[in-house]
Order: sequence, then structure tokens, then C-alpha cells
Amino acid sequence: MKDVRSSAVTTTLKRSGRHTAADAPAWARTLLAALRDEDITNLVFLPDTVMGRLLALAEEDPFFRLVGVHREEEAVGVLTGLYLGGQRGAMLIQSSGLGNTLNALGSLAMAYRIPFPVLVSLRGELGEFNPAQLHMGRAVPGCLDALTIRHVTLRSETDLATIVTGALKTCFTAEEPFGILLSAQLTGWKAEK
Amino acid sequence: MQRVEATGVAVELAGASPIVGGVGNSTFDLIPFDRPANFYMWNSMGMASSIGLGLALARPDLRVVVLDGDGSILMNLSSLATARAAGVTNLVHVIWDNGGWEITGGQPAGSPFGVDLEAVARGCGFLKTASVDTVAAFRSAFAAAMADSVAWVIVGKVAPGDSPYRPSKNCVWLRDRFAIAVSSQRSADECEREIADS
Repeated sequence: MKDVRSSAVTTTLKRSGRHTAADAPAWARTLLAALRDEDITNLVFLPDTVMGRLLALAEEDPFFRLVGVHREEEAVGVLTGLYLGGQRGAMLIQSSGLGNTLNALGSLAMAYRIPFPVLVSLRGELGEFNPAQLHMGRAVPGCLDALTIRHVTLRSETDLATIVTGALKTCFTAEEPFGILLSAQLTGWKAEK
Repeated sequence: MQRVEATGVAVELAGASPIVGGVGNSTFDLIPFDRPANFYMWNSMGMASSIGLGLALARPDLRVVVLDGDGSILMNLSSLATARAAGVTNLVHVIWDNGGWEITGGQPAGSPFGVDLEAVARGCGFLKTASVDTVAAFRSAFAAAMADSVAWVIVGKVAPGDSPYRPSKNCVWLRDRFAIAVSSQRSADECEREIADS
């Protein structure tokens, strides 16, 4: 068996997995266009199915760099390091993962005033089939409120570009994280019952 | 090996390279060697390695140093795998191993139970690693790491003991001072462009 450690990291691996750019939904195109317009080049992610569709589109675009983390809290640190080094990034996670970020959001990003949008795919709100997604999903707005982190919830294509662009601009003006929550009303829920 | 003495060696050999301090004693022992290119973390235990990774991604022209604690990296072991997957080559990650959570009263963790952090780093794909327990050996390993073109993890066995030093409590000032120091280090590409333009 080839020892992959003996070589440079394979850059040809498709980080967005089985999702394809051609199948990317309209909302994903709108979100990526808004991120690009605000010079947000780094997408620091721990995927779920919703974010996977957006990441497939981003991966086709050389403007974006995809950085996968293995626990969502890491993303707060990575985004802090990127910002200290002069680059902007966004976090792309699921509602479950927001729970893994909370102390770092409070004690690093808020304390040191590090701006980045936190895109959260909301499970447990509409159309949920998994009982274990309900509680953390419902707690997302309250967690952000408790940390005094601004947030908006995206529900439809109407005004989508305006809301997202506005959130991104305020995020960097405020020099704080800003939650952008993606409802299943926009992204669709899983067919599973 | 005393952590503060080895920290001084790291700052000396780092030159202008940015240094990210971990929570608690790893940061506190940087204070006698204070410089704008030091970043001091007051909380968010475990995040130093991730901050170092982000900085290394943003500035591939710089070698980025992380001075971490064993308790801290045990809280964020996945960041070692993330650094490998991200493919950074410009990260020098030092882990001070005092065998536990020193600042909270010296509770044992990690190496006293047989946890081998160098082996963890190797397992996560770091090609170059070292474990050292003297200042001379640390100097040698750290100098090699700074001169290299791949990422390193160095586990430095240090004596227990709390640091008496503390950084400024103005986090935004710490942020800005560090970001300005890093941005003032122009990349080789920029310098070459400037020479070509002149």
C-alpha cells in the first residue's frame, strides 16, 4: 500500500464529495455571488447535505478555497488565523455543529472581534425526520442571541441577495461573527420519513 | 527543560516569523520575549493550533510558529489531521509537554498515562516530528524546523511550574498589533514585483 504521507497532500481530491456543481440550486449561486462580492475567499466547512451542494459549486470556482475541518470549533480558530493574516473567510456548518463552536465564538471571535459569517444549515426546524436533530436545531437562534451574535434566517429566494449581502457588510463593519441561518424552507428537507 | 528558557530559544530562532501562543502558560512565558509578532490567546483553550493553521494558509510565504500546551492540543487533536488535509507546509507546531493541566493545579493528563503526542502527530501525517527534553536538543530541532520546507511538530518535555508573566488584557489591541506586524512582513513575491516595477 502506498504511504500517502510520503507525498504532498493530494490536491486533486474533490473536497465537496459526490455533489456536482451542475446540480447546485439557485440559492447556492446567490450566496456564493454575495460572498465573492465581499472578498470572502475562504470557505471553512464541516459539511452536511445542504452545504455540500453549495461547496460543489464553490469548488469549481478558483476564487474560493475550501478548508475542511474535523470539528466545527476548529473553524473559529482557522478563520481567526486567516483574518489575522489579512484574509476573509466564512464558516459553513450544520446546526448540530454550531453547538461545537460556542466557547470559541465567545472567548475568541467575540473577545478579539474577529468577523466572519457563520452559515448554518438548520436541521430540526421544518420537515425534520430525525428526533435527535430537534433540540440543537431549535437552540441555534437562542445560542447566538446569548452570545449577542447577530443573525438572519434565509427562508426564500425573495430578497435573498439583499439580505445576505447586507449581513456580510454588517458583519465586517461590526468586526464580529454574524449568523446566516438557512431554513429548510429555502434549501428543502430530506425525503426520509 | 524549563519552558520559559525554551520559549526564549524559540523567539530567538523565529526571527520575524509570527508566533501564536496557546492558552495559559504557553502564552504567559512569551511575555519576557514580547514582540508585536506574538499573538496571545486569553481563553479558547485548544484554538492555538487552528489559528496557526489559518495564518499559515493566509501567508504561505511565512513560517508560522505555534507554542501550544499538551492539555490544549489534547482538546483539539483533530486540528492535526486538519493541518495535514489542508496541505500546509509552513507550520511549526511546538507542544510543551508538562504532563498535565498545570495552571489548574497540576492534574495529570496525556504523557503520564502513556499518550504519545509525537506519535499522534505522525499518525496525522506530519512528516517531520521530534521529541526533546533538553534546551540544546530543542534548539537543534527548532532550528531544523524553521529552516525546513515542510510542516513540523516538536514535543518539548518541560518541567512543571506556572508562569508569573501576563499579557495585556486588551484583546483588540493584541489583535491589531499582531495583524499589523504580520502584514508588514511583505512576501517575497511582493518584493520581487516591487523590484521589477522600479
